[in-house]
Amino acid sequence: MPYLEIDNLSADYGKVPVLQDINLAVERGEIVSIIGPSGSGKSTLLRVLTGLLKPRAGSVAVAGEKLRYDSPKDLRRAREKFAIVFQQFNLFQNMTALRNVTIAPTIVQKRKAAEVEAEARALLEKVGLSHRIDAYPDEMSGGQQQRVAIARALALKPDILHLDEVTSALDPELVSEVLDTIRLLADDGMTMMIVSHEMGFVREVSSKVVFMADGRVVEVGPPEQIFDNPQTQRCTDFVSRILRH
Amino acid sequence: MNYTLQFGQVTPYLWYLAGGAWIALQLAVVAFIIGWAIGLVCASITEYGPKPARIAVRSYVVFVLNTPLLVQIFFIYFALPDYGILLDSYDAVLIGLALNAGAYMSEIQRAGFRSIRREEIEAAETLGFTRVQSIRYVVVPHILKVLYPPLSNQFIIITMSTSIAAIFGVEELTGRAYNINSITFRSLEVFSISAVYYIVLTIVASTILYTVGRYFFRIKGSVF
Repeated sequence: MPYLEIDNLSADYGKVPVLQDINLAVERGEIVSIIGPSGSGKSTLLRVLTGLLKPRAGSVAVAGEKLRYDSPKDLRRAREKFAIVFQQFNLFQNMTALRNVTIAPTIVQKRKAAEVEAEARALLEKVGLSHRIDAYPDEMSGGQQQRVAIARALALKPDILHLDEVTSALDPELVSEVLDTIRLLADDGMTMMIVSHEMGFVREVSSKVVFMADGRVVEVGPPEQIFDNPQTQRCTDFVSRILRH
Repeated sequence: MNYTLQFGQVTPYLWYLAGGAWIALQLAVVAFIIGWAIGLVCASITEYGPKPARIAVRSYVVFVLNTPLLVQIFFIYFALPDYGILLDSYDAVLIGLALNAGAYMSEIQRAGFRSIRREEIEAAETLGFTRVQSIRYVVVPHILKVLYPPLSNQFIIITMSTSIAAIFGVEELTGRAYNINSITFRSLEVFSISAVYYIVLTIVASTILYTVGRYFFRIKGSVF
């Protein structure tokens, strides 16, 4: 049984359907990348999973247990198991890097401050920022902020990390430091769902690639299939367009 | 022009003037606090309130922003008695200053509400913060930081505006300077000394405000 099972999931923005009958299974330790043209619903899927947008229909099950997003209890459970990192980092501007990482475990999980802080320091060291612990977001580069955001997401010890175009807002020379951090997590066996336009990276780290278009999953397969031998016309067109340059 | 400065005629009144500065400061502080509260309520209603309340609040704000402070206080002091509301001059000035400041601070605080970053609240949500927690840890600190500099400026402006009280016979700094002037006729000396008092008052206030701003809100700036 897959760890995460998405079954016929649909969601709307107002009256506009943005996700239609999504079916997807994710195993523990898997890295699933979602690619596709803009407006295809990639980010929306992550927003639904992390509880930022209520689904209209369908279901999500974690370890065989259904998650009902309209139940506050289930929503809390979803937020503990699923973490998300955003394109624009969305760090708390009024807090230092360290505080950004410690705040959720302290006030949400009500864990002991000293223990949380030790873990946060270790996490920040892991993302290569032990020297920026007391810096505020506006004092850091985009790459540094994004690495703090990754540490913040990991602080709650989630089962799945969702990365929503985490390098899209970065200057080109800062992209690699964030990708290196994600590779590190991949080596640790972290289960991840990655929405990304960094095709080389997607191909390298993914165990499975999902191609989405118009709110639907069009094709799912190992990276070799999606990039070298796509089975659908839409995927073939998309891949040939992005690999041309 | 042959004018010999004679500060000696004014120096006996220095403490008297200092007392006036103290009254000016009290007026400013009380008017600021009341005005801030009025502004907070008005800003909340303008941004989130029902339409009829919004229209009422907007009328007040637009009326106040587009009429002179002096006319507003004249109205409170001279016109309200026709409706049976008789206020002594100190209260009339205080109410005028507070209502005036309230309208300005309503606009300032609206800008604060508008600056709330939706993305940070979303991040808090996905980390499992409750609504109260995201207001307490994310929204309020952000708004305070955004509002602190313009509200500080507003306080300085109110401090200057208290001089209008002299017209109504309130013996604050300008009122007392005016009294001394009519006794000594040393206008240049009297009013330059009162100017120095105002400068000292506002520099002390600014220094305190900047220190608080730097320490609590990481706002960079200096008095000069």
